[in-house]
Amino acid sequence: MSSQASDRSLLDLLQHPAIWRGRSHAAFATLSTGYPALDDCLPGGGWPRAGLVEILTPRYGAGELRLLVPALAKLTQLAPPRWLAWIAPPFEPFAPALAQSGIAIERQLVVRTETALWAMEQALGSGACDAALAWPRRAQMRSIRRLQIATERGHTLGFLFRELTSARESSPAGLRLVFEPQPRGARLTFLKSRGGARGTFDLSWIPEGNRGQA
Amino acid sequence: MHPRDRATRWVKSGLAAAPAPLREPRSGSPQLDLQPPPDEAPLADAAELWLALHLPALCLEAVRPQAPSAEVAAAGPPWAVLDAGTGRQRLIAVDAAARRHSVEAGMSLSSALAICPSLQARVRDPRCERLRLLALAEAGLGVTPRVSLEPPDAVLLEVRGSLKLFGGVEALCERVRLAARQLGLTLRMAMAPTPLAALAGARTAAGFLVRHEAQLVSQIAPLPLSALRWPEQTIDRLAVMGVRTLGEALRLPRGGFARRFGRESLAALDRLVGREREPRRAFVPRQRFRARCDPAYELSNHEVMLRYCQPLLADLEQFLRSRQSAITALRCRLRHRPPLVATRVELRLATPEFEAARFAALLAEHLARLPLPGPVRRIELRSGELVALAPEREGPGAGSGSLWRPGEHGGAVGRETPALLERLRARLGTEAVYGLCLVPEHRPEACWRIAEPAMMLSSRSASGPTASPAAAPAAAPAAAMTALHRPLWLLQQPEPLPRGLTGLQRLRGPERIESGWWDGHDVARDYYVVSDPQGAELWVFRERQPPQRWFIHGLFG
Repeated sequence: MSSQASDRSLLDLLQHPAIWRGRSHAAFATLSTGYPALDDCLPGGGWPRAGLVEILTPRYGAGELRLLVPALAKLTQLAPPRWLAWIAPPFEPFAPALAQSGIAIERQLVVRTETALWAMEQALGSGACDAALAWPRRAQMRSIRRLQIATERGHTLGFLFRELTSARESSPAGLRLVFEPQPRGARLTFLKSRGGARGTFDLSWIPEGNRGQA
Repeated sequence: MHPRDRATRWVKSGLAAAPAPLREPRSGSPQLDLQPPPDEAPLADAAELWLALHLPALCLEAVRPQAPSAEVAAAGPPWAVLDAGTGRQRLIAVDAAARRHSVEAGMSLSSALAICPSLQARVRDPRCERLRLLALAEAGLGVTPRVSLEPPDAVLLEVRGSLKLFGGVEALCERVRLAARQLGLTLRMAMAPTPLAALAGARTAAGFLVRHEAQLVSQIAPLPLSALRWPEQTIDRLAVMGVRTLGEALRLPRGGFARRFGRESLAALDRLVGREREPRRAFVPRQRFRARCDPAYELSNHEVMLRYCQPLLADLEQFLRSRQSAITALRCRLRHRPPLVATRVELRLATPEFEAARFAALLAEHLARLPLPGPVRRIELRSGELVALAPEREGPGAGSGSLWRPGEHGGAVGRETPALLERLRARLGTEAVYGLCLVPEHRPEACWRIAEPAMMLSSRSASGPTASPAAAPAAAPAAAMTALHRPLWLLQQPEPLPRGLTGLQRLRGPERIESGWWDGHDVARDYYVVSDPQGAELWVFRERQPPQRWFIHGLFG
């Protein structure tokens, strides 16, 4: 009886907002990735609704976009219409494939620039975009911190695609993961995930037939 | 009744009004007599009350650079203005600092400089004076809609209807005085039921205030004749007759006065006391904004240029706010030394805008990437056509006055949407920012194209039944293509497949696309989906015509 009472008082104590426990899921709005198994590994159960996510890939076009497509499709269906910005993409986003995946084509905004980080900061901080994807040439820690702050200002989800070599640098992004393509799937390694799972995670693509509904 | 027949009767009534219990205008005090007379009667609605704003030091204030405060101005060098017209260089106005050095108006420039070597003298600038007067008239529109100019140095405001709104004579005058101080102008104010009486009071007396027509004659009687600005000859002849004040002039017999000094003078006296209405031409504010600034030295630094633009943009915002309007185009011209042509910058805004901060941000982007042929001597700003500003825009994609942040609890997208587009385009160029749209076509190169980004995003998705006009034809092919397997990335140009590439595994295909014979860009290809050894999926094709080469066309990124 007394142990139960002390347990309860401990639980009450832990509810105190000033106490932060390492594994606890921070209470912030998230957006499902469309892959239930991946949602379970992410803090809050999905991509943050406003925040910066860094995705490191060995090369561009290896499938990292397919990882985001279900979430992007959901974002472009949201009620106050906002843009989905593509900042300095390495290739042309192929409109028919995007439409096929359920992404609203008229909400796409493509920006061709050498100063990708500046444009990304504008897109994130303006509040005119639901999400912004950027492929910068180089990114310094200070400019990434600016992006992180801009996501909060504009209530925007930002994805920053970088080379695998930058895994050794530290980054202020809230979520960092390494994406490696595999046959019919991908291997994700979480480098940084506040309150989420660590280690690697093998993802298999949703079967083709279900892609439209994803 | 003809006015002439009424002459004697009027003179009597004018005299009769004199012993009424009146407050004498205080001569020493710069303030108006602000206490309303105790026996204030309810006034007819038609009665006018004119506030005259006389600018005694306008020619000086027009040429002297504006000092931030009176103390700074007092500490600065003495200033004087020269007559522009005559060849003789005579001072026509001097400021207080110059007067302390015993420099007086009417001196020749050389003798003034002999007394006070630090004297700053400028030739009179009527254009600048006119601009200052217009600025004051525009400020006057903030108090009343009935504003009238009295060139060269006065503005008249009809304020009867505004007294209650602004809380009485005192508060209203304080407001006007503050506006004038911001413009760097010294005012002398007077209030009277007729415009001419108000003007006469402002020119000659300090704190002249008459609220009722019945008290007017007795109040203006002691004012000197010079208040009417009659020709000097007329005033001299009247002085010879022993007539020196307005009251004495009003007591003269009308017939004789008209014969000797002309009907015009008599009509002026009638207008002065309100026996004849004086229709005033209403001041119409400018409908385009034009401003320029001449920096003290030639500018070549963009940031410094922007700093010089800031006050102009602040004026522009004030200009637009007072008209409840906005603009979609702003032209900026940077003038160089004569052989070089001016550099032009044109800001185009996606939506009507009036805030100085946003103009400044856009101008900064434009200036930063602007090559200048030489240093800049003058900056000019011109607004495009004014657009009436709706108080609050409604509907989706508008109404930034939302309580919520965009994207939060259904908070609508406001001005952020076009603002982002403008900022990106100002820095990166128009063609660097674009949207996408679908084209009903089979060729991968032709089934999509670049589109102007939608300014008003529709809240429905492309797959919805009625999307935006650009996406409307897209809905059908999108539905038809759901069965097809298309890559998310398309290469700008198909790239030849590297010869040494091995280990490719076919996942799908072939899919034949053979189309476009009508426009000369016909294709005949067999498309395959292959996966490379690293696990990435590629979209490759083989030409059907010899030499049947292989190309990569897309990535299933």
